[in-house]
Amino acid sequence: MSRLERGYRVMITTVVDKISELLSQLQSPDFYEREEAVRELGNFSEDEAVAGLVLAIEDPDLGIRELAAHQLTERKGELACRLLIRFLGHDEIGARNLAAEILVKIGDDAVIPLVEECRNADADVRKFVADVLGMIKDPRAVLTLCGMLDDENLNVVCSAAEALGEIGNAEAVPALQAAMSRGDDALLPLIEALGKCGGEQTLEHLYEHLQADDPMVVFAALEAIGYIGNVAAIERLMPFLDNRDRTIAETAMMSVINIALANRGRIDYDLPLDRFKDFLFEGIRAGNKRITDFTLTRLKHWYGRDVLYSLVDVLPVVGDTERRRIMDILEDAGPIAVGCLLDRFETTDDETKLLILDVLRQNIDPGVARGLVKYINIDNPGIKQRIAHIMGISGWEEAVGHLRRMTRDDNGHVRRAAYAALGWLCREEDVDFLFEGLADPYPDVREAVMGALIVVGGMKAVDRFTQELHSAGLERQRLAVKALGMIGDSSVVAPLSEALNHPDATVRKLAIRSLGRIGQIIDEKPLLVSLSDEDSSVRKAAVSALISIKGTAAVPDIRFMLDDDDIWVRYHTVNCIGELGQREYADLIAPMLSVREDVLRIAAVKALAAMTAAEYRLQIQDMTSDKNKDVAQAAELALAELGGR
Amino acid sequence: MEIVTKESGEVSVMELRGRLDLASGATLKEEIKNLFEKERTSIHLNLSRVEFINSSGLGALVSIMKEVRLRKGRLTLSDLASYVQEIFDITQLSHIFEIFNTEEEAVNSYQTVQAG
Repeated sequence: MSRLERGYRVMITTVVDKISELLSQLQSPDFYEREEAVRELGNFSEDEAVAGLVLAIEDPDLGIRELAAHQLTERKGELACRLLIRFLGHDEIGARNLAAEILVKIGDDAVIPLVEECRNADADVRKFVADVLGMIKDPRAVLTLCGMLDDENLNVVCSAAEALGEIGNAEAVPALQAAMSRGDDALLPLIEALGKCGGEQTLEHLYEHLQADDPMVVFAALEAIGYIGNVAAIERLMPFLDNRDRTIAETAMMSVINIALANRGRIDYDLPLDRFKDFLFEGIRAGNKRITDFTLTRLKHWYGRDVLYSLVDVLPVVGDTERRRIMDILEDAGPIAVGCLLDRFETTDDETKLLILDVLRQNIDPGVARGLVKYINIDNPGIKQRIAHIMGISGWEEAVGHLRRMTRDDNGHVRRAAYAALGWLCREEDVDFLFEGLADPYPDVREAVMGALIVVGGMKAVDRFTQELHSAGLERQRLAVKALGMIGDSSVVAPLSEALNHPDATVRKLAIRSLGRIGQIIDEKPLLVSLSDEDSSVRKAAVSALISIKGTAAVPDIRFMLDDDDIWVRYHTVNCIGELGQREYADLIAPMLSVREDVLRIAAVKALAAMTAAEYRLQIQDMTSDKNKDVAQAAELALAELGGR
Repeated sequence: MEIVTKESGEVSVMELRGRLDLASGATLKEEIKNLFEKERTSIHLNLSRVEFINSSGLGALVSIMKEVRLRKGRLTLSDLASYVQEIFDITQLSHIFEIFNTEEEAVNSYQTVQAG
């Protein structure tokens, strides 16, 4: 015996001994020992280990049974399946169900072993074999299951029919029809299976059962017709929608829904939906996706007051997508929906109130604002804010008085919304009232007041802000200059130009920026003086404003800023001249390529590239080997823009 | 201000270029009125190239929004430059306008609503 062979035998013996030890350990009264045995058996692929794991699904402890089930599911394999199938006839229902569950999880690998047991002597095993095959849904099982429709045991036949329905393969249709002709015992599952497997050709067969005396057979046939999804079948279902038996009528309705959904809602029948309102909305409340989808699709053509009320009522229980669809429907429904929404507003919860307000604000209607007045003292600030917003766009004259009252609310968010809404009404006569709001203790509210005055605009607001520039405190002065800039018409140019001499640098800077944006100036001298301002941010703003107002004509004015004491003013000036993209100014920028400050060299390289100043390519090329990587990278990019090395 | 209008399905997409003030606001309102005459009330305004907007421009947008809603239409905006966004925030107009980051997102939102 070779050394290798000896070693192999030792190893085999060791493995066999270990598995035997673990199998004995499975009988231990100690939970932890049994659990460890199951865990370790999972590491072996030997048949004995698999058998041990299957035995462990009978363990008295649930945790151990589940651990064994997990190991078997992971392992799969034919032996495990065959052993598990034996458990399908187990006396204990828990072990039987767990075996079935594991087989379903194993899936593909279990199909052939299961098919081979379809003639097992034990009817219970055959029944469970059919059940498991149905859950695995593998078409390879269809012929076997068709054969099981001839089984002597009724339970087996029923399970086989149900399994065929689950698989839904048309090959099963002849066998199902043959089984139906043999007797009534398994008729219901056979009809259901036919619906799930069959196409149009089975419809005539199913229509016959609509005339049955047994209502259960009629239910089954109605449902089966719905599964097939053929639009032409609706004609046969229509009479049942008027059936006095609600269950039959609702089953027929559900089948119509299934047919409609199978045809993307394209069914051209006038359905008596009013009769099914409660059924449909109950379905929506219960989270039935098919009913919800159908109902919301049909609702585009079905507005009735009752329906709209029902829609509002289900808002709190549906998911986000459905809620959005309902809100769209309510928005589309227009005035009729507005009345329903206002009626329901009082009795609904706060979350739904907010949703209702989102719909209502899409309707510019003084009536909406009027209907919401009684809620402006409600406790919830979020609701009050939305009400203020709706009033602001309602076009209702009397909203002004209510909004003014809301600006006195204890809650700053509500005051903020009320001031903004007053602004949207764009009434110049509110300017004085709005200015009082600038004394509000909260900065957010003061900013909202400023926003409102910006929207209102006009001479009165400009005059008041101009006065503020010189008479109020510093914060108000800054706010005033910002507001004047945003009002932004020609009437603000004079006060903004005057503000260039303001003692506060921020005011001067904001005034310059605004003039730059507006693009107008009465006299450029104060702006030129600002280039020598003591504050560097003002000087930078002046450079931008002059470029913005005069374009390239500003370059002679600002070129000396390239020598400014402040590096960031120089940097800003390089960028501004560069953005003009005029090659004629390249000589102004080029000296910056050799300054000490890297940020300036980078800005100069970029500016020269923007000016397409190819004459500086050599100097830029030298910079590609600069020790500062950012400089080298900027030079590489610039070279590429200039056409390469 | 230049206004470039194109149709994207049921949505009329208008790209505004330049300054939105009193004069251009009036032009814009006129253009929108023309769309109403063609019964087009799904309107998207791309503001990416609006470099300046003032009080009168805002007033024009508010007035257009009210007109569109009165006609049961829908108005969306997109691509607000930082300064325009700042004004929308200060005036809280962002609460009453439907604003999207991009034109594509806005136009898709119409399709989503219609599909629903």
